[in-house]
Parts: sequence; C-alpha cells; structure tokens
Amino acid sequence: MNRRRFVRNMCLGGIATFGFPIVNFAQVKQRGRFVFVLLRGGFDGLAAVVPYGDPAYRSLRSGFAYDESDLTVLNDMFGLAPGLAPLRDLWQRDELAVIHAMAIPYRTRSHFDGQAILETGIDRPVGSSDGWLNRLLQVMTGDRSGIAIASGMPRSLTGPFEVQTWSPTQLGTVSDEYLGRLAVLYRTDAALYGRFESAMQQQDLVGEEPMAGGGARRGGITPLLQAAARILKQEDGPNIAAVEFSGWDTHANQGLAGGALDRLLGQLAEGLVAFRTEMAGAWSNTTVVVMTEFGRTARPNGTRGTDHGTAGAGFVLGPQVAKSIVLSDWPGLSDAALFEGRDLKPTLDTRAVLKGAVGGTFDLTPAQLDRIFPASSGVRGAFELMK
Amino acid sequence: MNATIRALNRFGLGAHVGERRRIDDPKGWLRAQLQGGAPELRAPLEATPAAIAAAIRDFRAAGQGDQQARQQARRRLVDIAAAESHAALTARATTERPFVERLVAFWSNHLCVSVGAKVLVAPLAGSYEREAIRPHVLGRFEDMLLASAKHPAMLVYLDNFQSIGPASRGAQFSGVRGQQRRGLNENYARELLELHTLGVDGGYTQQDVLQLARILTGWTVTGLARSGPMQNARPRARRRPVQVRQDANGTIGFAFQELLHEPGSKTVLGTKYGEDGVEEGERAIRAFARHPSTARFVATKLVTHFVADDPPAQAVDRVTRTFRDTDGDLRAVATVLVDLQDAWDERLRKFRTPQDWLIAVLRAFNAEASENVMPLLRQLRHPLWSPQSPKGFGDKVQEWADPDSLLNRAELARTVARRLRAQRIDPRTLLDVVDVPASDPLNKFLADNSIAADERIALALAGPAFQWR
Repeated sequence: MNRRRFVRNMCLGGIATFGFPIVNFAQVKQRGRFVFVLLRGGFDGLAAVVPYGDPAYRSLRSGFAYDESDLTVLNDMFGLAPGLAPLRDLWQRDELAVIHAMAIPYRTRSHFDGQAILETGIDRPVGSSDGWLNRLLQVMTGDRSGIAIASGMPRSLTGPFEVQTWSPTQLGTVSDEYLGRLAVLYRTDAALYGRFESAMQQQDLVGEEPMAGGGARRGGITPLLQAAARILKQEDGPNIAAVEFSGWDTHANQGLAGGALDRLLGQLAEGLVAFRTEMAGAWSNTTVVVMTEFGRTARPNGTRGTDHGTAGAGFVLGPQVAKSIVLSDWPGLSDAALFEGRDLKPTLDTRAVLKGAVGGTFDLTPAQLDRIFPASSGVRGAFELMK
Repeated sequence: MNATIRALNRFGLGAHVGERRRIDDPKGWLRAQLQGGAPELRAPLEATPAAIAAAIRDFRAAGQGDQQARQQARRRLVDIAAAESHAALTARATTERPFVERLVAFWSNHLCVSVGAKVLVAPLAGSYEREAIRPHVLGRFEDMLLASAKHPAMLVYLDNFQSIGPASRGAQFSGVRGQQRRGLNENYARELLELHTLGVDGGYTQQDVLQLARILTGWTVTGLARSGPMQNARPRARRRPVQVRQDANGTIGFAFQELLHEPGSKTVLGTKYGEDGVEEGERAIRAFARHPSTARFVATKLVTHFVADDPPAQAVDRVTRTFRDTDGDLRAVATVLVDLQDAWDERLRKFRTPQDWLIAVLRAFNAEASENVMPLLRQLRHPLWSPQSPKGFGDKVQEWADPDSLLNRAELARTVARRLRAQRIDPRTLLDVVDVPASDPLNKFLADNSIAADERIALALAGPAFQWR
C-alpha cells in the first residue's frame, strides 16, 4: 500500500487523538508560528556579520578580515559574510533583522552553561529548570503545540507541556507492509495508538522528496529546515519549533570566503531560504530566530580560529519583522571597548530580542513574557523589531 | 496479568525467552535477588584508576599543545567512557539479578552525572557508578549520598571542586597572576538539596543553599595535576608560601583542602555546624539523608519508577514510612516496593525508556551488549550517563513515547531482527517475553508464515506490548 493512502485510511478509521487531524480548509485560522534555531558551539558573530566599518576591525582580525567588496553590505558599518549572501533577498524584502553585540545575561565561556542559559531563558545556570519554549507553550492560550526538529529533545522545549519530536529516520528501509502491521498492533493500545498514527502522518507530511539522496537526510540543516516547514505549515500542526545546527566551535582554520566557517554560513543561509520557500503561504505569520550560546574572541587564536568569547550576532527573520535593520548598540572593537580585553562587549540581552520576537509574533503581554523569562522584568523587550 | 512477566519486566530488565517457566514465585524470585551485597563490577582494563588519572593529566597537559594532540587526548577520555559504558550495559544485559541492576540504574540516574556536560566527567562517570552507587544500592542511602558527594565525577560535574570559601585563606591569593578570581560555587549545594535529597519543595531556602555551599568549600579533587585552583598561587606580602597538596602521579580522588574551606560556623536547615573542617559537610549530608522531606521525595521517585507515572498516594506513603523508619535502608525500601499491591495492578503500566527497551531486546535473545549499543542509545536519545541536566532522565510515558521515538523503535527493531536472521529464531517464542491476551493480533502475526521471520520478530519488538514493563 502506498504510505500516503495508508495514512489516510488509518486516520479515517482511527481515533485522531494526538497530532494532526486531516487538513480542513474550512477551519483555517491565522496562527503565529515561531522557530528557534540554535547554533550550538558558539558562532562567530564577527565573521558572520562583519563590522567592516569599525576602524579597529582590520587590525583586530588580521589574517582573516574581509574587504567590503566581499560582503553583502547592510549599512556603512556592517556587511554579511559571503556565505550569508542568500539572505540578501530577505534583507531586500524587509524580512531580516540582524542583531549584533548580543549575549546571554550570564558571563560564561562554557558551552554547557551558555546553552543552558539560552535554552532555559533564565539568568544563571540552574540545573533543573525547564526550557523557555516550553514555558511559552504553557503561557500561550488557544491552539498551540511544539515540536523539536532535532536528534534529541533540546533543553529549550523540555518541561511539563508535552511536545513532539521529529528527526530524520531511515524509514525508507522499512516497508509499508511492516508499518501497516504495526499500525494494526498499535490499534489495540489506546495509550499509544494516537502517537503511532501521528508519527506515520508526520512522516507522510515530510515526505521523501527533500531528503532525496539518502545520506543528505542526516547532513546539513537544509533538509531539517525543509522538513520543519512541511510540518509547521500544516494548519493545526505544531506552531512552535526548535531546530539545532552544530559545528560552530571554530577553534581552528576558520578561513575566509569558501573556508570552513563560510561553508557553514552558506548552509545556514541556504537552509533559511529553503525554509521560507517551503513554508509558502504560511510564511506570512512565521518568525524565525537564530541564536548561539556565545560569540567568539575578537582576535584570532594561534590556530587561525577563535576561542570562546562573549557577545555575538543573531538573526530575526520573517514578514512580521518591522523592517530590515541591524539592531545593535555597537560597542566598538578598540582594545578599551573589548570585554575583558578580548571579546566583543555585550550591549544587548538575548532575552530582550526573544521577548520582542515572540511577543510580536503571538501578541503576548509583558506579564506573559516575564513568566516565560523569569527574573527578566528589568529587561525591556525589543518590541520595535516587529510589526 | 501475568505476575511472572510483570516481575521480569517491571522490576527486572526484561525476560529471556523461556525464563518465565523457570520462575514459580515471582515475588520470591525478586526478594531472593536482594540477598547479599550488590554484585561488584570490575573496572575495565582501559579504566583502571591509574589509566583514568593518566588520561586526564595528559588531556590537561595537551591543552597547551596543537589541535591534533588535544583531539588525541580527548579521544582517550571518550574511549574510557565507552569501555565503562560497555561494561555497565553488559552487566545489565546479562545479569542474573536484574532487579539489583535496575536499582543501580535508578540510583545512578537519581544522583546523576553527565558526560555531556564537561569532558572531564566522561572518564569518571563509569567509575562513579561502580564506586559510589553500586556498592550502596542495598545499603544505606546516606552512605551512597556521601560517596556521591566525594566522588571526583560529582565534584567536577557540579563544580564543587573549584568552589572557594570567600573568607578562606585560599581566597586571599586567588586572582594573582592574572587569573580570574574564583569564589563560592553553589551549584552542587543547590542540587544536593533540590534534586538529591529534600526536593524542590522540601523546605529549604536560598540561605540554606549558600550556607551549605560554604560548608562544602574545600571538598575538591586531587590528582588532576594542572588543576587545583591554587596551583602556583603565592600569598601576598609576608606570608609564607602555601602549597596546595598536588599529587601529580597518584590516582584521582577526593581531597579536603583546608586552605579553601570557609572558616566559621554555618547554619543549614536550622542546624548550626561549628567550624569542623570536612566533618561539617559529612554531618550535613547525613542529616539531609534522614530529613523527612528526603524520605518522601525519594519514595515518590521510586514509586513513579516502579509503579506508575502518577504514583498512588498510599504506595508513596508506605515507601516513605519504610525509608524513614529504617533511616534509608535501601534493601528494606526495595523489599517494600515488591510488596506494594499497586506494583501488581494490571491497569498501572510503565513505558520502557529507550535504555529499558534496548536492554530488554538484548535479554530476550540472551544477547550481549555489543559496541553497537551506545550509538543505538544515542539514536534513541538515551545514551548512558548523559542527561541534559542534573535532574537526570525522566521515566514517564510523555517523556519517551513521542511519535518520532516510536518510529525510531520500529526502525531499529527491523534492523536488529535482520541481524538475528542467522540465528533462525522462531518468532512465536517471543510471546514468552510479553504479556498479551490470546485475542491480540500479535499472536496471529507471529504465527503467519507468509510474513518473513525477521519481520515477525521486529513486529514483536516494535509492537505496543513490548514497549511496556
């Protein structure tokens, strides 16, 4: 049996208690959608969003400083690295806010602590706290659900609100007959049947096409973001998603255009553009935020890379962005301006950006935002980012 | 409900084919496993104390070297973790006292460390389970707690090894030589109260956490060589140089460094601890182990693990009483779990975590844990000793039975079954390891010769009956 038909049959015959009911266009609702893309490893903001206009930039980054002509120029201070060139289109459509000199609210150069702070949305490492996306789901009202597009449940989504996960499996290796028989078995189990059915349906939505090429399924972020789009664009599907992209811990040989880091940036930009394309009409109320746990040292290290630093860059994308801007209270790159003499100084709190982005996407009140980000009442949301 | 299958799967780690017929008295079979000490697990050859210490010191020394040297040194740490994981998983897959191994896994997760958090934890996590947890699972909770508190894995994982009393002598000359000034780290103190003993609502305050952190200053790790926060530190003006004892060749272990210990008396949970060096912390930890909130917190967690995601109140009460009345005698506590009526109620089911599921697959076929098991556990999002937070892994259905995970199991079951093809197993024998009524379609599928035998095996392993314990 063809899987698509198989899933339809299962839905019609079964009890759709979990996951997505069949699309019913008579009930289309306008719902915000939000995707949090976490770049794990500490992404080098100075190499991605290049402050070519800062007088100290060239000497500070000697060895791998970009020329203005290499960049997608955003304004007279900043330009996007060559790998990020595909984002030019979003910039021109007023769908891209570039954030710089942003950092988590706690000073650490530990991946573990940094990611914990970013993902829990609190201001210091507390071992057991839940993720801020899960609190967002708890605080929101109405129809909403979350999904992790990741090989493990990211901390940002953990918590009492039940969320789904999706990761590229190699289900191509199992037959539809096998899945059909499993479905018969699962029908006898009221607690699990809805979940199994939902899994089949998710798999059906994601389809095979974007994963063509077998191995490509597990590599790069483009297939993940395309899969995310196929799931998120369903009416009544999940509308909060967390996506992860690792490999940013560039201690050595970052390179320039075409180098190791630039290729990663290229994957990121292409993935974001592919996500936008795949979302089609559903893009109109979708916001994507891209962040990392920390920026990297302002100066290169001895192995033509950079070490763990402090402030860095991030992105907010989507039609709900007020207009394309670089949001930054730029601290400068002079020796005196650097944080502890080595890192870009933080002038903007990640939570201010997140409050602005989710607040604008879902029309949340300041009180709701303070529940999502505890102990952040002193951090003003960057609401000007969004329409 | 079949009580033998429940004993094998709920309290044990999954039935072997044929095993149910060898057990006449399920509760007696479980109680018998609790007799005698916990089974020892010897260190793998790659993970002797000397090997661990050497690998860690080399890793720290390689910090200065080139990237290749660093990667090689890191590789050794990861290899130790892999050897330890393999040993621990083999014990779970092959043990004849599966109830005791389940207790090891439970307590190891309750007082968890995580190899994902800090690379230095990786080579220590296995020895942590072997040395701090395993010997005490049929002993006293307070001894386990104290062994955990003093194990280098925990001291590193929750940062206590670098916590310095603000008024300690050590604090006066930290910060020299341009090092970042270090001070009190309350991470372990907080988790000790919140996650290991009283529980988040157990009745302690931020002041208690701070005071406890002060009590625990000086609890640090020796043998890390390039580690000690005080290494090479020299006091300011006119004091004699103070050398922190550093054992550059010995094994890695607990050390109490008076120099880093916050002087003076401290008060935690209303008890005053006069200045008494390491004994302050030892007394405090034993007191937390006997705190009434701890009995309830731990009992709730145990009943959640062994009975139901929503633990029945009367069961929690009973285990709480036993824990309290025996001052945390974990053999008595394990015994009372077997006696709980709710544990045998067929309406109350526990969903197998990925580790439970994979071990049960291995046990069904009397297979050993191969080196493939760790990657499979990663794919199932449940690698050994790698929780995302000090809270440990959860064990409720909502944490593990998401649609994607069910598909993952379906896929893996198919792969495992294909690998077993050579063994020519009759798929019907798998009805031995699950509890399904005669009307269940699994009976029909397993007997259906028109379906390939390996697919039938996969259906048994991926079907709903095998997902519960």
